[in-house]
Formats: sequence, structure tokens, C-alpha cells
Amino acid sequence: MKVKLKNVFVIYFLVSVIGLMYALLQLGQPCDCSQHLRSASDLMHSKDKKISQLLSEVKRLQARGKGPEPEEQALPIIYAITPTYTRLVQKAELVRISQTFLHVKNFHWIVVEDSPVKTQLVSELLAQSGLRFTHLHTETPKEHKHKENDPSWLKPRGVEQRNLALQWLRENRELSEEGVVYFADDDNTYSIRLFDEIRSTKRVSVWPVGLVGGLRFERPLVENGRVVGFYTAWKPNRPFPVDMAGFAVALQLLLANREARFDLLAERGYLESSLLQSLVSIEELEPRADNCTKVLVWHTRTEKPKMKQEELLQKQGLGSDPSIEV
Amino acid sequence: MLRRRNLLTTLLIVLPWALLLTLWHQYPATRYLILLRSKFKDFAFSTSPLREEGLPSCNWQQTSGVAPKVIQNYVYSRPPPWSETLPTIFVITPTYTRPVQKAELTRLANTFLHVQNLHWVVVEDSPRRTNLVSNLLEKAGLNFTHLNVESPQSLRVGGSWIPSHKPRGTLQRNLGLHWLRDSFNSTQPPEGVVYFADDDNTYSLELFEEMRYTRRVSVWPVAFAGGLRYESPVVSPAGKVVGWKVVFDPNRPFAIDMAGFAVSIRLILERPQATFKLEGIKGGYQESSLLKDLVTMDGLEPKAANCTKVLVWHTKTERPMLANEGKHGFSDLRMEV
Repeated sequence: MKVKLKNVFVIYFLVSVIGLMYALLQLGQPCDCSQHLRSASDLMHSKDKKISQLLSEVKRLQARGKGPEPEEQALPIIYAITPTYTRLVQKAELVRISQTFLHVKNFHWIVVEDSPVKTQLVSELLAQSGLRFTHLHTETPKEHKHKENDPSWLKPRGVEQRNLALQWLRENRELSEEGVVYFADDDNTYSIRLFDEIRSTKRVSVWPVGLVGGLRFERPLVENGRVVGFYTAWKPNRPFPVDMAGFAVALQLLLANREARFDLLAERGYLESSLLQSLVSIEELEPRADNCTKVLVWHTRTEKPKMKQEELLQKQGLGSDPSIEV
Repeated sequence: MLRRRNLLTTLLIVLPWALLLTLWHQYPATRYLILLRSKFKDFAFSTSPLREEGLPSCNWQQTSGVAPKVIQNYVYSRPPPWSETLPTIFVITPTYTRPVQKAELTRLANTFLHVQNLHWVVVEDSPRRTNLVSNLLEKAGLNFTHLNVESPQSLRVGGSWIPSHKPRGTLQRNLGLHWLRDSFNSTQPPEGVVYFADDDNTYSLELFEEMRYTRRVSVWPVAFAGGLRYESPVVSPAGKVVGWKVVFDPNRPFAIDMAGFAVSIRLILERPQATFKLEGIKGGYQESSLLKDLVTMDGLEPKAANCTKVLVWHTKTERPMLANEGKHGFSDLRMEV
């Protein structure tokens, strides 16, 4: 046979017809795919079982989750005022205190950024936190700002921000609303029990704070259920030698005294006193935390992370991707 | 006339192949073959219908700034009720006595109380279990195991805060692994994952859902590790780990921080000889000393949207200034801080 195109086509056609006949014959044969079918149906069965398990669990959890306690509505709202500023550990700090705050009923978080605008980082974090929140911002005036390597105690921090939050509360809340205001810095550590103690505040309540003032703890001294003095080693002659984390103020007291605020020019350590002395006297203070014998809040501070390698890379223009938020 | 004949011949040739192809696709056995084959491929991008529900697969992550919401309706009931179907997350935390210990463990507990099916294994570096930790664990409400083993003097951190390059927490983590191997049968391993969580780091809740369905070893970026904004594995477009984006000793077999990986329980139980090594471990090699006995680089599963999101921060807490305590102590020692 000559190698003509026509012959090639003929052979091609014959081969394909034979292949087709073979495949058609295979159709009639008992296939050995039962093993595949069985394992596939096993998978289906186990998936079905899992689905029914999950469904029954959902039902069980729904039944348990029904019926929130009725007194929830009557609980005074705790307003936590947290000043914050952009730095490397900011997101981490806000994430971990939000995880603590999620355990507190009737909680309203007021976050005030030291910034001319609301940053995306904080906005997104608050939106995903699951908490009720108010997002404010105000920039500290330049002459009161810290420079890069200033020690943290050099100038008072967060004053403008806390005052802005107080102003917001005065503009947006009525005297009839029950609430308690607490100043919660973003690097401290709070136990859940602390908020139970805060909630019962009638005017100004106080309790011990751990790891502050150069001591294991600072605390008010209590006799017969009244505060008679303060146990502290640093500047004990302050009118109110308590840390920002060591007191809470009833909302109504703040609304009634519209001029009470933190003094930007207060001497070091007198910031708390600058607010409290216009609100209350020592005899009126309410001791909490078992007559001020339990430490429920710690004045922890987070180290500035070492960025030696990052700085080296930045110099070479190979810094880490700035679009990945840290 | 000739052209029509050509057309006819081509048609006749194509016809049987077309018939063959249609038959092949209709054949039921071959359909299952395709499905089963894709199931057994260890492919992060597999879209086979046999995948677990609720897995935050890298495919499904949105690229916008909004991350999936993890907080659900259980905000006010803690911890969330134990589920029979969710894999358990075993968190091993070594800890030692120092002024900030109670604060660190308190805020860790506050975080863990949001995570379903979490079992906290706390291992103290002390000769016996302290009251502080025991009381804290009992009051927290979590499922926990409280262990202790004392590090010999040469390894101890103790009161001095001179940064040492001796690995810390090694004996404690190994004891945690040992407890796991003792408690669970390797023939019927529970579904779960082991994570080494130091008590001063910060963990987002999303992280725990990322690690929950680890098949062998999963990895993700860690912020503030190795002197960088974050250290991260390098992930190829195919979804495999091919390197490490680090500056500190990138030649380590596993250039990753303790907080950057999780191991499935099954793998831990299958390899009982895999532990953290004590002797001769250079700074930064502790993680490799465990992982090299468990997995190779191509067996790693990248999480956190192919390692582009930071879900854990290597924060460190400052040592509190206690100068006013003086030499003999000032504050009442009976008050626990």
C-alpha cells in the first residue's frame, strides 16, 4: 500500500472504529468499580453522621443559650475610657484588652486616639471586636507631646484624650442613666472580677492596684468600711495617691460636675488628684475588693519590641511589607 | 466534489472519538476515581466537596481589610460549652514565679475563655505546684491540667534578667508533651492540635480557629519576633512553604518562633521520640529541635491567608520597677499579687 493520505485516513478510521467497539463492549461487562463506590458511599455515610451530630449539638446549644438573665437590662453600664496612640504594640494591646472586656456585661468602650484622624487599624479592630464602642480622637498639642526617647513619666499622657471622652459623655448621656466610668489604659491587666466591683460604685470607689508606685501593690487603707489613708511609698502626700486604674467614678457624679476634668499642667503623679479633688473627699470614697485587700488590676507595661533587624532592612530598602498590619 | 469528500472523511474520523469521549465522561466509576484522587492529594487549594465544613481555607479569604468575624453569641457565657465534634486545642504554657506572673496568666485565661474546646496545660518551673497558679486555674473555669517540673540551676531564669541564650521552658514543654502521650492512646488519637503558648504573648481569637484543623504541622507569621515587625514563612503560589522571611539565622531548618506553629495530636503521638532538645541547642534552634523529628518543610501547612495576616504578637512585659520595696520588703506579703 502506498503512503497516501487517503490510506492514512482509512487506517485511522479503522482503528477508531475498533476502539469504539471495544468501549461499547465494555459497557456490558460488570465493572469492578464497586470498591470505589463503596468507599465513596462510606464517606457519604460518615459525612451524614457528622451532619446529624452537629445538628443535634446546635439544637442542644440553642436550648441552653435561650433566656438571658432578666436583670441584665438593669445593670449599670460600665464606660471604660481608653486613650491610645499609634506604636508597634498598639494592635496587640487593644486585642488583648478587648478579649477581657468581652466578658463584661453592659460594657461600653470609649477609645480615644491621640491622632488627628481616626486610624484604620483602630476602626477595624473596634468594628470586629464585638463590643459596644465609641471611637473618638484628638491630638495632644505639640508642647505636651513626648519625643521619641522621652521616659514615659516625663509628661502626663492621655490627658486630652480622657477629657474628650468625659466631654462626650456629658454631651451624650443623661443624668437619669445609671453608669460608672473607669479609666482603663491599654497596657494594664484587668481581672473579670474587677468589673463587678466597679459596677456597684455610687460616687467614687477605690481598690488596690498591683505593680505600681515602685511597690508590689498600692492600696487605700480601710477601717470600719471607710478609707482612712493610703498605703503608698511614692509621694504619699498627694490628695489622692491612687493610680488611674485604681478608682472609678459614677457617671451621674461626672454629669453633675460638668467642670471636673484632668489638668494638663498637673505635676507628675497629681493627674488623678486633679480630677478627684473636685468630685469627692477622702471620707466619701467607697472601698472595694474586700475592703481593699485583693489585687484585681495590675499596672503592667509592655516592652518596646526590638526592631534591630527591621531597621537594618529598612536602610537597605528591604523592609517588611507595610500593607501587612501588625 | 473533492472538498465535500474531504469533509466527509474528517467527519467520519472525528465521530468515533467524540462518541468515546462522551462515553468516558458518563462512566460512573471514572467520576469517583477523579473525586477520590483529589481527596488524597495534600493540597491546600483543593476544592473537592469532601472537605470539612467551616475550614477557613486560603481560597476563601477575602482580600479586603475585613476579616471573618469570630465572636459569636456566647459573649456572656464562658467558657463556651464543650463540643463533641470540634477538635480540641491543647495549649502548653510554661510559666515561672515572678511579680507579673499572676497578671500574665489572668489575661491569658481571659483570652482562652473565648475559645471552644481548649484544654490548658500549665507547667510551672518550680519544685511543687504553687497556690497562686492552682487557685487561678480553678477559678478561671477552663479545662486545665496543672503540672510542674523544676529546671536545674544552670537553665533557670531565676531573679536575674540577663538575657540568656539558654533555652527556657524546655523541660516544662517536654513535660507537657509527655503528659499528652501518657493520657492518650496512639491507636485512637483524639482529634486535636498542640500549641505552645508562652504566657507573655498576645493571641487573637482567630488564630485558634486557624490552627484547629491542622493535619500535621501548620505555620503562620509572628509579630515582633527576630527583631522584625514580623517573621513569616515564605509561601509559594501553590500554597507550600518554601522558605523563611527572617533575618536572624535564616539557615535554621525551621526559622520560626515558638508561637508560630501548631502540631496535630496524632503526629505527636505517632512520634514519641520527638521532644525539645536541651543539650547543644543554639539560640533560636529550639523550635527546629522538635520540628525536625516531626515534619519536613514541604509538609507544613501555611495558615492565616497564606501567611499574610498577623494573628499572634510576641509581646514582652516590662519588669516592674519595685525599688520602693527596698531590701526587706514594704508591702504586705500576705496579699497575693
